[in-house]
Amino acid sequence: MSLPLRTAWHIARRDLNARFKGLRLLLVCIFLGTAALAAIGTLTAAIERELASSGQELLGGDLEVEVWQRDLRPAEREALAEYGDVSGGFRLQAMASTPEAAAPIELKAVDAKWPMFGRLVLTDGREVGAPTGKDAWIAETALERLGIRVGDSFTVGTVTLRAAGVIKDEPDRLSEGFQLGPTVIVAQDIPAEAGLLQPGALYQSKHRVAFADAARDAEAVEEALTKAFPEAGFDIRTRDRASPGADRFVRQMSDFLTLVGLAALVIAGIGIAGGVSSYLDQRRASIATLKVLGATSGDIVRIYAMQIGAAALVGSLAGLAAGVAVTPLLASALQGLLPVESGFIISPPALVLAASYGLLVAFAFAAAPLLRARTFPAMALMRSGIVPLARDRRALIATAIGLAAICALALLTTAQPMLSGGFLLGAGGALLLLAGLGWGIQTLARRLPRPANPLLRSAIANLHRPGAPTGALVTALGFGLAAFVLLAAVQSAIDGNIQSRVPREAPDYFVLDVPRDKEPRFFELIQQDFPKAGIRTVPTMRGAVLAYGPKETMVRVADLKEIPEGAWALRGERGLTYADTLPPGNRIVAGKWWSPVHNGEPLVSVDADFARAVGLEVGDYLTIGILGVERTARVANLREIDWESMGFNFALVFSRNAISDAPHNLAATIDLPANPDSAARGSLLRALVKELPSSSVIEVGGILVEARNLLQQVSLATLAAAAVTVLAGLAVLMGAIAAARAARTYDTVMLRVLGASRRQILLLQLAEYGLLAGLLALVALALGGGLAWVVITQLFEFDWLPDWGQVLAVLGLGVGLVLAFALAGSLPLLRAKPARALREL
Amino acid sequence: MTSPSLAISARNLTLTLGSNAAPVTILRGIDLDIPHGEVVALLGPSGSGKSSLMAVLSGLERASGGTLNVAGADFMGLDEDGLAAARRGRIGIVLQAFHLLPTMTAAENVATPMELAGMPEAAPRALAELEAVGLGHRTGHYPTQLSGGEQQRVAIARATAPRPELIFADEPTGNLDATTGEEIINLLFARRAETGATLLIITHDAALAARCERVLTMADGVIVSDTAAAAA
Repeated sequence: MSLPLRTAWHIARRDLNARFKGLRLLLVCIFLGTAALAAIGTLTAAIERELASSGQELLGGDLEVEVWQRDLRPAEREALAEYGDVSGGFRLQAMASTPEAAAPIELKAVDAKWPMFGRLVLTDGREVGAPTGKDAWIAETALERLGIRVGDSFTVGTVTLRAAGVIKDEPDRLSEGFQLGPTVIVAQDIPAEAGLLQPGALYQSKHRVAFADAARDAEAVEEALTKAFPEAGFDIRTRDRASPGADRFVRQMSDFLTLVGLAALVIAGIGIAGGVSSYLDQRRASIATLKVLGATSGDIVRIYAMQIGAAALVGSLAGLAAGVAVTPLLASALQGLLPVESGFIISPPALVLAASYGLLVAFAFAAAPLLRARTFPAMALMRSGIVPLARDRRALIATAIGLAAICALALLTTAQPMLSGGFLLGAGGALLLLAGLGWGIQTLARRLPRPANPLLRSAIANLHRPGAPTGALVTALGFGLAAFVLLAAVQSAIDGNIQSRVPREAPDYFVLDVPRDKEPRFFELIQQDFPKAGIRTVPTMRGAVLAYGPKETMVRVADLKEIPEGAWALRGERGLTYADTLPPGNRIVAGKWWSPVHNGEPLVSVDADFARAVGLEVGDYLTIGILGVERTARVANLREIDWESMGFNFALVFSRNAISDAPHNLAATIDLPANPDSAARGSLLRALVKELPSSSVIEVGGILVEARNLLQQVSLATLAAAAVTVLAGLAVLMGAIAAARAARTYDTVMLRVLGASRRQILLLQLAEYGLLAGLLALVALALGGGLAWVVITQLFEFDWLPDWGQVLAVLGLGVGLVLAFALAGSLPLLRAKPARALREL
Repeated sequence: MTSPSLAISARNLTLTLGSNAAPVTILRGIDLDIPHGEVVALLGPSGSGKSSLMAVLSGLERASGGTLNVAGADFMGLDEDGLAAARRGRIGIVLQAFHLLPTMTAAENVATPMELAGMPEAAPRALAELEAVGLGHRTGHYPTQLSGGEQQRVAIARATAPRPELIFADEPTGNLDATTGEEIINLLFARRAETGATLLIITHDAALAARCERVLTMADGVIVSDTAAAAA
């Protein structure tokens, strides 16, 4: 009884306008959704591939062991050597100087085997290894700060070095993390010779291993080393996660982009549902005619499913092509944020996933209108007016299957199922909310008393009459306007974070490794140039948490299979200090601070977040290892710390008697008076280098500029990505209004025929859309604001600081667009004489 | 059991529309036999149930009660899709407002019912049919590019192309001027004569009714007179 597929396709193709007239909204929505997902998937795949394939080069080995304030012990070194070639070195903050200038630098001392992977490239084109003798490879900015040229000399600590070449490309730069000064690379023995490795000095020793057996499992080696040296305080990285910072960033970005993609898809879905509905509504007469000619309801579904499928396929393919093409642009917008150059790649899994999403969304959202179209009766041709269609259970089932498939795909392919799941639930809730709102508006309009004014009566009737597109308009306007709010809120919140997070009142300098016996001289040196400078010093040392918990049942960190979420302080060595009073900016939330002259049991004050993550309570114990010596202290109190204040903040603060006997130096912050003289700054730096050669200075201004630039790039990237959602939202808005307008053309013409003036009709439409858009603006504010909150606080872990003025302005723009588009389409009808409009009806 | 010589046989046919709360009875017990090849006019004032009777007889609407046998098929036992399948190739319908498929050319419009019926050579047959109704030069035109008369010629070609046993025409000249209407009726009768199909035509035009073999007159949902036309 049913039509052969070939005949159905024959009729479908014949009926389908070659330019997809009527299906363009569906086409655009699928195009945007698929393009967004294809671009996101391609970019992520490119970065992951790059990170995975160049892990060895990024890390400088198959495995790296990092330890603070000491070199490796012979037994540790021997253990590493068992696995292959070992290249060692140090990394520390230091000061470089000439008689005329001084500059904080990041000193990287490497042995002759460095680099084991990749090459160091100099600006003159030379590919070199480790420098020898007193030669140094130096970053261009350091050269500029010191006012020297290649071949000139400069001093680090007590050693005079020669700038032998300018660094262009440093192979393991990415794995070194955030840079606190320009790099200077020297031979391995230079730091010791320069007096920079004194006991208590804050330096890292780094050893990289190139496995003799390339197939060796790096994680197994990591596990073996941790087990063999549980108290060593090793921070071990493997080639698979050469740059945890970069991995985390990529993961966060990928999660954000996935949310953007899902949001674009949901909005696209609404557009698809609206587009297919209005397309099939326009086709009612054709469907009824086909039925008169003998087509069954199954034939109708087959014919129109083929048309919609063809449009979806074309939209998806175009989207895939656009997604791949746009990836290099996206990568270039994110340049500097991304750990690697992504280049132009095609990732078949990413494209298959994007196309699957596109087609599934098309299926899920087109199924209901398509199955409803089956029920357009042939008799519709012989009866005027709108024939209400029966609700179809099969449509519900098909939609549910499609949506379930989308959810399953999203949850199975995401790295963050909770986040994606939460988003999908939220989107589902929002859809239900809008559907409910649409129903509510229709019900309310139906129950309102019928006004005497015919225009007002018509406006209210438009909202509830049979076939009124109120529900579709409410959903489309709600989601479309929500996209505007999302964009504005995310954007302005990131800007807000740039303003507030990068503090205005940060110290001008951090100084590390001030010897304790030189503290008075340190104060003198600063105050002779800047008598009003604010100076704060704290003792600092490095140590690793080895065990924690109630005294009898302490948990050894080495025995943990996984570090609990939020317990970052358990990883490797952390900065430690001791204090007699509560550090400024901290607040006790449990227990109490010890007496300034406490001399009893060693005590420790713990960051409340960290304590919560590991289940530590007041009265429990904590064991740390400092330079190989274990020390245990009782938890006296828990503190809340304002980590964003650019001062000294420590997760663990001990009582003086707990750790002060360990070798250590002081760290200091220096606040200069406003607008300090640059000559005086230079003089201060030179004086510090001269009198305290083993100390190093970090200039905060430069770091802030770098942080600000990074955040601004995040902001730009967000804008670029979220623009896709807004475009989808715009398409949906336009589509919904166009569909609703088509339905009202008849009314407009008839009102004109009956004597309504153009102004009256414009006012009528303005009032109708204004009321709807105004109401939905409030809903959009809640929806878009909620999603933006998730993105900002949960994904980026930023503060929720949107600029509501800006958000409302953008929302106002969206509402304005709705009104302008709604009215603009009616103008040709209003300009035409009623008789002509009637003929064109 | 219906006689095999009958194209249509209806007994006590009723049609009630609207909701259960407010039912509207449109056909009130129609008894009707139409032999194969007969040309029948259906007259009656607006709202008398002519179009509804035609809709039920042509399978566009399911009767609420009674028995109905059309072209050998028991229409009462068929659902809407069954009725659609029963129409394929056996029943041709011409409507007052033409109802051509706007996205298809004249030739494609004519070919479509034959394709739906799975008939071979639909495209060349459509061209031949258009030639037969005098539109051989307009085969590639879309409905909007054709005049009202031309559109109705295409509709007639579409209805007769599959060589149906029955042709239903609902006021086929209602949207046309008198001269064009005359041409269309001549064409319809000519095509019917060539195919030998049974023709049921709804009209308000007494002159047209007079050209039919039999005239049925309806009022208030029942057939009030059933006479042989003067010219028959």
